[in-house]
Amino acid sequence: MSQLQETQQTWRSGLRLPAIILMAGLVLFAPAFVGSYSLHAVVIAMIFLLPALGLNLLVGYTGLLSLAQGAFFGVGAYASALLSIHFNTPFYVNVVSAGLISGALALPLGIPALRLRATSFVMCTLGFIVIGQAISKNWISLTRGDMGLSSVPKPYFALGPWSFSVVSTAAYYYLALAVAGLAILAFYLIVRSPAGRNMIAIRENETLAEAVGIPTWTYKLIVFVLSAIFAGVGGSLYVHYLTVVSPLTFQMYYTTTILIIVLGGGVGTISGVVFGSILFVALSEFLRVAPEIRMIAYGICLLLIVFKFPKGFAPVIDKVWSALGGQRA
Amino acid sequence: MLNLLGEQLLNGIVTGSVYAIVAVGMTMTFGVLRVINFAHGEYFMVGTFASWFVIEKFDLGYPQSVVFAVALTALLAIVVGYFLMRKMVGAPFENGVLATLGVSLILQNLAVALFGGSYKFFNGGYIEPVELFGYGLAQQRILIVIVCVLVFIGLDLMVTYSRMGKSMRAVSQNIECCEIVGIDVQSVVLWTFVIGASLAGLSGVLTAPVNVSVYGGMGELITFKTLPIIIMGGLGNVRGTLIAAMILGIAESFVAGFIGLQFRDSVGFVTLILMLMWRPHGLFSLQSRF
Repeated sequence: MSQLQETQQTWRSGLRLPAIILMAGLVLFAPAFVGSYSLHAVVIAMIFLLPALGLNLLVGYTGLLSLAQGAFFGVGAYASALLSIHFNTPFYVNVVSAGLISGALALPLGIPALRLRATSFVMCTLGFIVIGQAISKNWISLTRGDMGLSSVPKPYFALGPWSFSVVSTAAYYYLALAVAGLAILAFYLIVRSPAGRNMIAIRENETLAEAVGIPTWTYKLIVFVLSAIFAGVGGSLYVHYLTVVSPLTFQMYYTTTILIIVLGGGVGTISGVVFGSILFVALSEFLRVAPEIRMIAYGICLLLIVFKFPKGFAPVIDKVWSALGGQRA
Repeated sequence: MLNLLGEQLLNGIVTGSVYAIVAVGMTMTFGVLRVINFAHGEYFMVGTFASWFVIEKFDLGYPQSVVFAVALTALLAIVVGYFLMRKMVGAPFENGVLATLGVSLILQNLAVALFGGSYKFFNGGYIEPVELFGYGLAQQRILIVIVCVLVFIGLDLMVTYSRMGKSMRAVSQNIECCEIVGIDVQSVVLWTFVIGASLAGLSGVLTAPVNVSVYGGMGELITFKTLPIIIMGGLGNVRGTLIAAMILGIAESFVAGFIGLQFRDSVGFVTLILMLMWRPHGLFSLQSRF
């Protein structure tokens, strides 16, 4: 509570409002002055923001460390690709179905998995990725195996007789921005709702939460499903942008990237995840770092997070934010 | 039919031996540290790469390359153990997961960055076939089984009789009491980890002539297969691990032989999930120790 008052007090003074306007302007008009490759980097970052928000909900608000985000991301990608290839459905149908299919899949997987504790849960969620990979490789009639699905249609919108496709990177930037913005809004609403407070209670002290009558297990299951929905939407956005999907989507690479965004950015905050996706995805994409070098950097970051910055790198941002508000951190 | 059955059984025992040598290190590390080492398979990969490298570049013989590979893996494990694993005594489980994942990423991609991502051909070992019970079997495979038996006899003796082994058992039971009676927990953790990782390296070199291909991502697959084994064997249980590894090896080889090769690698994870659901404490113990 005191933190909330503090925020309200400092809100009025200082340089925060100009900073917000500046950032909003930068975000809105980025395509006008940023090269198409940098724009591509930002689009990828915004796509990864979605599964990262889901994981953030899981880790940051219920304390569950899951590696299955990459699996649901892949499920969303495949679902969306198959829908648009076979039924030529408009983008909004794809996104919503991808989210719902991932969520629907998370329910039967989550019921047994959430009975497990700590490391067992981590191993089990790792299993979901491996199984996803095996299915995408071997269900050849549906997924075309290792060949993957290519030439997935670019997203198009149709309202009655009127329709248009999103083709250019700039157009996709606005689409991704809109979806990411909606996801952040959804995340904010979930976290600020009474349910969100219950989730925090579970994270802080599960036994106590249960003792005061919070159905902890049901909450965990709901959050697990919600995180899968976020990931599925992200996967849909990803596949329509790249227009290809293959079993490689179920590599550890994706899960690791999502994990590092959340943990490196700062668990349990929105700004942290946004910051994390810019730092770990946009920057490395922009600098064209080779994948293996990037993964080595991620590995070093994980070690730094464990041994030096247990709260991720977001506190650094908070310090800047406080300084803008005229405070000393 | 019977011939095929016997052949798959033999194959399974060989695969099981490979898994057993890797998994026993992981289970021992878990016993003293309560950390699932997601980087364990990478030491297997390091062993294979080290051996491949000295054979290709320095024209060393296979036996010398085995010594070099195990020594290098042990050295690496000492460094990782000293700076990371040792410090995870009593830390929350997330730290163990994340730090070992980090180590796994670093080692795996370092191998790719240094030697390229392509598959490499491993040229060495004893691949002459010999006749055994009417089945043709490469000498290397027989060697793997013999080494596995020796390793497990050695470990069993060590854990039962040596001072180090006794401290390991003590640490796996109660860390605080160990500290009170003067056991250096951190050093026990360090050396247990070094032994485990070196065994993984040894398994890597022994398997290389049979697997033939060497690539950066090979450790990940081994880690994935080690997980169901250590759960089946019961975490921290050395003898259980041997039996569990044999079960998985034989099951995989039967699935590969009778259902289809592409399903072989799924056996492990289906087993893992089923075990976690119904018997998270393993096949051989009545209740969970951890």
